[in-house]
Amino acid sequence: MEASAEIEKRLIQLNEKLGRFIPPRNRWTPVDEAVYEPTDLYRVPIDEALEMQLKAIKYAFTRQHTYNRFYRAYCETRGVSPDDLKTNDDLEKIPLIPDVTFKARPSGKDFAYWITGIFTGDLPKIVIEGANPTFDDVINAFNAAGLVVTYSSGTSGRHSVIPRDMKTWRTFMYAAQKLRSCLFDNLADHYLSLSPKPTKTNLYYGKVGIFEAQMHKDQHYAMDFEISADLAQRAMTGKDRDGTAPKSAVEQLRKVFEKGINWLERYEKTTDTIFLRAPPVPFLAFMDTLEREGIRFEFDGRATVSTGGGWKTRENERLSSEDFRKRVQEMLGIPETRCIDQYGMVEMNAGGVTCPEGHYYHLPYTFFKPLVLDKSLTPTGYDEWGRFAFLDAIAGSYPGFIISGDEVRMLEHCPICDLPGPVLDKVIQRASSEEVRGCAEEVRRILELDLKGVKK
Amino acid sequence: MTQVSEITDQGHTSRELPKQLRLGMGLTFAKMMLKNPGALRRFMVMGPDEERYVRPPREYEIPPFRERMRCCTSNEPYLRPTRWCNPREPEVIAMANELGAYELSDYEFAEAAYWFVKTKLVLEMLPLDSVSATLERGTGTCYHLTSLWIALCRAAGIKARYKTLIVTLPNEILNFETDEREAMTIDMFSRGVPEGEGEVCIDGKWVVGHVAMRAEIYARAGLPITKFGEDSIGLTLELIPGTIKRFESLPWRLGITTKALMLLAPAAMERANVVFAAEIPRGRNAIEEAGGIEAYDQNIRRQRELFSEEEIERKIKEAERPQFVEFKE
Repeated sequence: MEASAEIEKRLIQLNEKLGRFIPPRNRWTPVDEAVYEPTDLYRVPIDEALEMQLKAIKYAFTRQHTYNRFYRAYCETRGVSPDDLKTNDDLEKIPLIPDVTFKARPSGKDFAYWITGIFTGDLPKIVIEGANPTFDDVINAFNAAGLVVTYSSGTSGRHSVIPRDMKTWRTFMYAAQKLRSCLFDNLADHYLSLSPKPTKTNLYYGKVGIFEAQMHKDQHYAMDFEISADLAQRAMTGKDRDGTAPKSAVEQLRKVFEKGINWLERYEKTTDTIFLRAPPVPFLAFMDTLEREGIRFEFDGRATVSTGGGWKTRENERLSSEDFRKRVQEMLGIPETRCIDQYGMVEMNAGGVTCPEGHYYHLPYTFFKPLVLDKSLTPTGYDEWGRFAFLDAIAGSYPGFIISGDEVRMLEHCPICDLPGPVLDKVIQRASSEEVRGCAEEVRRILELDLKGVKK
Repeated sequence: MTQVSEITDQGHTSRELPKQLRLGMGLTFAKMMLKNPGALRRFMVMGPDEERYVRPPREYEIPPFRERMRCCTSNEPYLRPTRWCNPREPEVIAMANELGAYELSDYEFAEAAYWFVKTKLVLEMLPLDSVSATLERGTGTCYHLTSLWIALCRAAGIKARYKTLIVTLPNEILNFETDEREAMTIDMFSRGVPEGEGEVCIDGKWVVGHVAMRAEIYARAGLPITKFGEDSIGLTLELIPGTIKRFESLPWRLGITTKALMLLAPAAMERANVVFAAEIPRGRNAIEEAGGIEAYDQNIRRQRELFSEEEIERKIKEAERPQFVEFKE
């Protein structure tokens, strides 16, 4: 299957913006080949893709086995070494670690040491100020030394922390943009985000927006204030989280939305293309505000809405993505085919992107092997519900062979579009024994906090 | 006054809690009060919008007592009636007979009684009272439920005793999805909570049983379901070392403690009861999804074979490289 001229054109445009992050070809690893070589990551013929997948994942496993003492010990206990991986089926022998592995328990100095234990490969010298560093102090020190450490929080209050080296981070960021470009026109002129500003937080959902700065001219971030780990934790575990938002938060949200409306009004009068990124629930609240104020836009095909982070509401009900798209069409005049949703998590590099036609989550399959596990955590076949797990070759700085807390159903192909790779069904939910997590929920809860005293 | 039956097999009384632990718990409470005196009110009074506890209906019938029913009348230690555990109460005798006393082998009866208490009764924070009252209500604290199991076994002529311990909650519970009330309850119990197990003497050997937590609560937290003969320590609860004690009778002090708790913190206890009751239907879903209790338990145990958090934590700790981190003070 060859990439269409349209996708080739998008890739050329993408590489004009991000091409400098691609390593020179003579230094490509099997992982790089699986990410950079195919023009269209979603149209690689299955046989060819499986060959790439085996090489990439085996390379990644060998790296983890060699340079990560924790993971090597874990594999030795289970009697698995890189020599055991000869076919694609053998990849299922790779010992999976639960996502709870990355929940940082210790604080202060212990937290810094914990990162050194989880991190794969050489570390630079990390200098941390103070005898009792905070969670943010530790992360900032690692990031100042050239790493990209991000975290996501859950209702348990324990953050999931992933340390990425610059190579992992850049490959991840590039792959994520490339995957989007392979499915829809990703390169808009301007960018409005109802998410945390990447430079003002180490929250995963904020930080992943950092490449947008390279992609768009005018970028506006609704959450343009410092979001510390303490703030995120307060949002996810605080006593005010299940009540209604305090007055100050309501007022603050009104201002955030007002700025967003002004931004949209500015570009409605032009022919420029725009890209809107937001978690579904806050974006729905934004559209409710538009309706209350009697404002409607007609952006048509020159705008794209990109959501991500989960579809649960405050009441723990699930939003209908179909209703959401209809609402976007009604309030912003953006067609349903230009509403895309992404599935990912802090532990994963480049996740699923919905196709414009069917809105199923298309998973990459040249550098990534998705798995669905049954109740006894054994890989099960397509069409079965089970625990989502994955072998992620991009993860060079931590073992990316992970069992998530999500329940999914995987299909061999999308029932609607003609792409050959696997997809996840539209409904993805948390397993019943797992804590609430999800970037959308995180953002919603932060927006509902009283943010008096937070550094602007 | 301490009775002989309260002396533990380690030779000390129940009042000898590790000093450090007692101080730790006291300090935590005192600090909390100093920091936020308003919290005291929250311990005592339910908010106007808070959900109130409604005791769930009893899940079994108590069979009628008949004079000819067999019951152990021995006054030997571990068979005789003790404080809050009278195996000669008619309701207890009737239930023991219903469960197969003097028909089943000692092991089979102890196991049947174990599953009866574990699957039919519900955790509820209450002051200690008689086993017949527990049987009538169908609810009680771990001590009520353990007392009921012990009383049923003693009624059937099987020696039985208490094993008390102080535990912390396992990571599976500390991590799970919580609302505010659940978080408060977990926080309250996460500082170290007294817990009771029972032990029955079968063919000269003491066999342990933890009846106080229903399968649904385990399932809610993704924990395996303890079986008869299986200790909760290390499997579903984390022991605070040095806190295990064994008694023939519950110490009077426990009665005062539970009464005091209900008096000083009735709202906190009620909230805990609301949480316990709410967790049961949620846990039931997880069990049903797995295909029943046995299937659920098998799956969870297999998952634990594949990996344990303790193993992962230990291996990460061993892999730490502190030489790369410098702290500038």
